[in-house]
Amino acid sequence: MLEAIQLKKTYGDYDALKGLDLKVEPGDIYCLLGANGAGKTTTINLFLNFINPTSGTAKVCGIDVTAQPLETKKLLAYIPEQVMLYGNLTALENLRYFARLGGHDYTQAEYQAFLERCGLQSGAYAQRVRQFSKGMRQKVGVAIALAKQAKALLLDEPTSGLDPKASNEFSELLIQLKGEGASILMATHDLFRAKQTGTRIGIMREGRMMQELGTEDVSHADIERIYLEHMHGDAGRYAA
Amino acid sequence: MLKLIISHEARQIARTGALWAILALLVGAIVFAAWSGGRSINRQVEGAQAAETFEDGLRNHMRKETEDYEAKVIAEGGEYQFASVRHSPGSGPPQGTNAGAVGAETSKYVTLPPTGLAALSVGQSDIQLNYLPVSMATTLDVTKNLELENPVNLATGSFDIAFVVIFLLPIFILAMSYDLLSSEKERGTLAMILAHPISIRELMASKIISRAAVLLTVVLGFGIIALLTVGTGLDTADTWVRFGLWMIATLLYSMFWFALAVLVNVYGKNSASNGTVLAGIWLILVVIVPQLVSMLATTIYPAPSRMELTIAAREAQTEAEKNFMAKLDEYYYDHLEFVPEGDEKAMDFLTLAQANNNSIEKAVRPLYDNFQAQLNKQEELVQRFQYVSPAIMMQLALNEVSGTSANRYEHFLNQVYVFHDDWKEYFGTKFLQRYPLKPADYEDFPAFSYEEEPFTAVMARLMPSLLGMLILFLSVVLVPFLALRNYQVAAR
Repeated sequence: MLEAIQLKKTYGDYDALKGLDLKVEPGDIYCLLGANGAGKTTTINLFLNFINPTSGTAKVCGIDVTAQPLETKKLLAYIPEQVMLYGNLTALENLRYFARLGGHDYTQAEYQAFLERCGLQSGAYAQRVRQFSKGMRQKVGVAIALAKQAKALLLDEPTSGLDPKASNEFSELLIQLKGEGASILMATHDLFRAKQTGTRIGIMREGRMMQELGTEDVSHADIERIYLEHMHGDAGRYAA
Repeated sequence: MLKLIISHEARQIARTGALWAILALLVGAIVFAAWSGGRSINRQVEGAQAAETFEDGLRNHMRKETEDYEAKVIAEGGEYQFASVRHSPGSGPPQGTNAGAVGAETSKYVTLPPTGLAALSVGQSDIQLNYLPVSMATTLDVTKNLELENPVNLATGSFDIAFVVIFLLPIFILAMSYDLLSSEKERGTLAMILAHPISIRELMASKIISRAAVLLTVVLGFGIIALLTVGTGLDTADTWVRFGLWMIATLLYSMFWFALAVLVNVYGKNSASNGTVLAGIWLILVVIVPQLVSMLATTIYPAPSRMELTIAAREAQTEAEKNFMAKLDEYYYDHLEFVPEGDEKAMDFLTLAQANNNSIEKAVRPLYDNFQAQLNKQEELVQRFQYVSPAIMMQLALNEVSGTSANRYEHFLNQVYVFHDDWKEYFGTKFLQRYPLKPADYEDFPAFSYEEEPFTAVMARLMPSLLGMLILFLSVVLVPFLALRNYQVAAR
């Protein structure tokens, strides 16, 4: 489970996050929507302990991220917008290295099974990732997350720039992971994907959570309308 | 976890062509330096042997003549006499019976034996000859082959392993670690790694350990190979203790440069700017600061030039020759017991030469002592200011462990001066007594045996440099160590 309690992050005079409260339960795919600068990536970075909160608490499975960062990182997997890997290592070598960093090790067949599950072509397993497309790198990134057997996933615009087929495959994987009881927090600009994949949606603006929605309660059109109204600053009447 | 990242880093290094090129260059530099250092020390040793053989040959020749003369005296009867200038050539006793001739016309070469590590750090031993001709000539003549100019110039000209370690090793270290953190940031892998249960301190430590392991294996491994190839005294504990200290110094010096790379990575921006900053620091610490300290030493304590000493000696000589009778009287005044009878004193060229030499020695000695005193002060100043640059500390440390330091050389020179006095005393006295040297006397000529300074003295001079490097390393590493505790991976 992921939980943010009055989480704040300030850079000088700029409030990047203004007291965020958030809870992502096991089996949830929580999609954070918002314009650039809304605080989505800041929220993810706080859960990863990449930055220290100015105040408030971020917890992973009940453990305070700031107090025990290494413990919480054992429970987390992270897929950034651009999965960056070691170009001079093969897909399998990258996967093996990151899996072992996460405290797991598998047989060669198991590593191949992770890559296969993510949809990477078998011919690419032993290729150095230097020449991989973004979509291929994202697949290896997902394989890394799978191999970590994480209880919580943090995804920062993971499908940005992917072709529709790859995005679709990615969504299917997320749904599988959700079924396995993972808590997934995903920052995205893709309203369609948020509705299709997510269980809940949080709309953020200027560091605040403006509104939370259950994806089953609203249509695609509603999400788009509510989102745009929040972006234009007149959505008070929709607030939950 | 450390082991995992270290092996990962090692694999990364193994797959980076540029780093192989760096290592190949380093190995090449070490091999060439070992060859060059070995050649330099061999030349010294061979030079000393050749000079000694030549001088011993001259004396043996004189001895042979005295043996023939002695046999002749025994066979024909008569008195075994002293050769003086009144004898015409070919007749009378040979020159070998004249202690003045033996003591003044042949030299005894005294040698500062190189330590087992001398070839690794030639230091200034290429300009400070380790073999000197001791005769009845003046101290100035004994030391005339020394190049005493600018002895504190720490940028040694020799391409020896010490040069590779002091000048080139930091470049190789910085080339391998200038982008420790920045490359991970630029590649985007830093976030991927730190999303795993590993602290940035562990990551940095692993990266340093893997690079240090590769570089130090090369440096120390090839250092041992160099020692086995061009080193001497490999069967003595002294050589291996010195090599152990050499390794400690190299380790401390390398640790400083690695720490500096970490510091710049923690506070730096991108790899290009890190590289520029580190190259600038290298230039300042390894090239500019040692030169400034050298300049400071020679400016504050200027030593008279070698030329001035030579001119002063010539003036003293001219003065002595002008007043040779007065100088001779002065000489006999100092050695009343040797005043000969009659007109003999004016006829004796060797006595005059002896008197001249004493006169020159008296005139030049204060200048020479002043010269030495200034050099010592320069050396002291360099030692005091060594802490401003790890390169100076390292140079002093390596010269010290290799036995090529200015201090060991001074220790040698002091023994040479004592031996010089003994030599003059032995031959001068016998000459003035007109004692005819016999073949058996040749066995009793003063002999020189260099007495090595106690190792505690070496350690006492070495420790400040080693401790200085350790403290410098700790100061440099402490800053990033503390800063990394609160490192923000996603700084705004």
